Amino acid sequence: MTAWEGLAHGFNVALQPDVLAYCLLGVTLGTFIGVLPGIGAMAAISLLLPITFYISPEAALVMLAGVYYGAQYGGAVASILLRLPGTPQSAVTTLDGYPMAQQGRAGVALFVSMVSSFAGSMLGIVVLVVLAGWLSEAATAFRSAEYAAMMVLGLVAASTIGSDRPAKAFAMVTLGLILGCVGTDVNSGAQRFTFGIPELMDGINLVALAMGLFGVAEVIGNIRNAERHAAPERVTFRQMMPSRDDLKRMPAATLRGTALGSFFGALPGTGSTLSSFLSYAVERRVARHPERFGKGAVEGVAGPEAANNAAAITAFVPTLTLGIPGDPIMALMLGALVIHGIQPGPEMLTARPDMFWGLVVSFGIGNLLLLILNLPLIGIWVSMLRIPFRYLYPAILIFVCLGVYSVRGSAFDIATVAVVGLCGYLLALARFSPALLLLGFVLGPLIETHLRRAMLISRGDPMVFLERPIACAFVIASVLLIGLSIFQNLRRR
Amino acid sequence: MHRDWADIWGGGVLALLGAGVAVHAGLTLDFGTLRAMGPGFFPTVLGALLAVLGAAVAIPAWGRMAETPHIAWGDAAAVIAAILIFGLGMNRLGILLACFAAVLIASVPAPHSGWRWRILLAACVTGLVWLVFIAGLRMTIPILPRLP
Repeated sequence: MTAWEGLAHGFNVALQPDVLAYCLLGVTLGTFIGVLPGIGAMAAISLLLPITFYISPEAALVMLAGVYYGAQYGGAVASILLRLPGTPQSAVTTLDGYPMAQQGRAGVALFVSMVSSFAGSMLGIVVLVVLAGWLSEAATAFRSAEYAAMMVLGLVAASTIGSDRPAKAFAMVTLGLILGCVGTDVNSGAQRFTFGIPELMDGINLVALAMGLFGVAEVIGNIRNAERHAAPERVTFRQMMPSRDDLKRMPAATLRGTALGSFFGALPGTGSTLSSFLSYAVERRVARHPERFGKGAVEGVAGPEAANNAAAITAFVPTLTLGIPGDPIMALMLGALVIHGIQPGPEMLTARPDMFWGLVVSFGIGNLLLLILNLPLIGIWVSMLRIPFRYLYPAILIFVCLGVYSVRGSAFDIATVAVVGLCGYLLALARFSPALLLLGFVLGPLIETHLRRAMLISRGDPMVFLERPIACAFVIASVLLIGLSIFQNLRRR
Repeated sequence: MHRDWADIWGGGVLALLGAGVAVHAGLTLDFGTLRAMGPGFFPTVLGALLAVLGAAVAIPAWGRMAETPHIAWGDAAAVIAAILIFGLGMNRLGILLACFAAVLIASVPAPHSGWRWRILLAACVTGLVWLVFIAGLRMTIPILPRLP
């Protein structure tokens, strides 16, 4: 199937009324969640996961993806108006977005962030189509050794790139891998760390773990902090019109951001937060007057916003073509697919074209909806920021509980959420990344299966990872990354 | 400024946890060989790795100064209590009563005085939950308390 046929096919899927409705629901909800500081896309997707049991896998994935990139749009609103990042990806946007708001140019900052987000996403879709086609062909040569080595590289990249304390990052990944071992061992049937509790025999529930780590832990941390801000100023559509100077500065920054975002989004393990930080650093480096940054430079909003949206799209490349989630949000998406009995892999494009092309087209439609809706509706989103957090969080907690309960009707899972929530709160407070824990948790069983299979095939010879060229490249890259981070750490002292 | 207690405690707890995992897995699960790895191979290796990493976080932190983060124990306790009351009480108290009680408890640490808004909020959330999950999604959860 050529890309054009695929796209035509995708329009058939994505324009079905129910898929379109779930796309609209996803992006609206995502924007809402993104606007509110204190709850991120992660929590929103875990909340919606139980609902996806009742709808078709296509509609489910379209909706969850809509929440993800919708939250990227919404996240910028609180960053610009209140200097409170609505999502971690939009943290960088505070650096120049908030100064713009203080100068009375909040509307312009919002306009720039939305248009750059849109451009970043649209170009990201093109990159996604090209890379996915290319990668799913290359990946037919992948065997267990390659998969295991690639996932290890993903975990290493996630813990070293952009992390100032790699030891803490690795510790979280390792803890996640250990938690992934809990349950019945697939190969031998042995019970691992179940301590006779029947609910643990299928392993720790992914939804319960994600909701505890992100939903509950974020609520505990925000009860006091989320109400410390002043009410935002009103923003009208008319105030959003940029000046000619703004328009001249925007396109180059947006394109550079998109390029960075598309690249780092597609690498397993790095993701959109990192690419927005990198984009900001690049914009500052290439600017003729870097001293403007931090004081309301348009490029400082345009670049990172384009980058995180492009990355949110291309993050689907490894997830859909290799079945390897590059970040925790993709891990949840993969979880949703697995619940529906779909195991993504190199055959995905040919075996389930509905799914892949439908999703690709829905990205385009969803981003268009976001642009059309958000420019005129910005006033509504801004007024959302006036709702005090104290009215929201008790309801969030109840929805978390019912969401977890609905997965398999287990009160044990709700207790798990409580325990994980407390641990997650303490971990986040001590600056241990819960996102890396979840990444390890999801990849753990996959790595173990492929590692054991690779070793069985090679008759116990670990050299198999160095003799196969692609696996060897992954191993070398992992070793280089670890070496580099140790070197940097030693030099800092 | 104090010692970097966050890293000392965090690293220390993780190191102990890792050691515990490695010992438990090593004693109770079959380690296997490189060729045919048993169920104990992965957990034992990972536990040992976590013990080393935890120590690598905690030990350098001993000689370093940092702000100690403030732990909001009260907020955490209220949230956890609300979840447990809702989750464990749902089937005995019925969803309406459990939800009302959970929202009240969860709202205790909110930085805004007065009881009237808390009760109103609990009533609203309970109504919403009934509307969405019982009337809408038809979840099978007892609605009213089960009489003995």
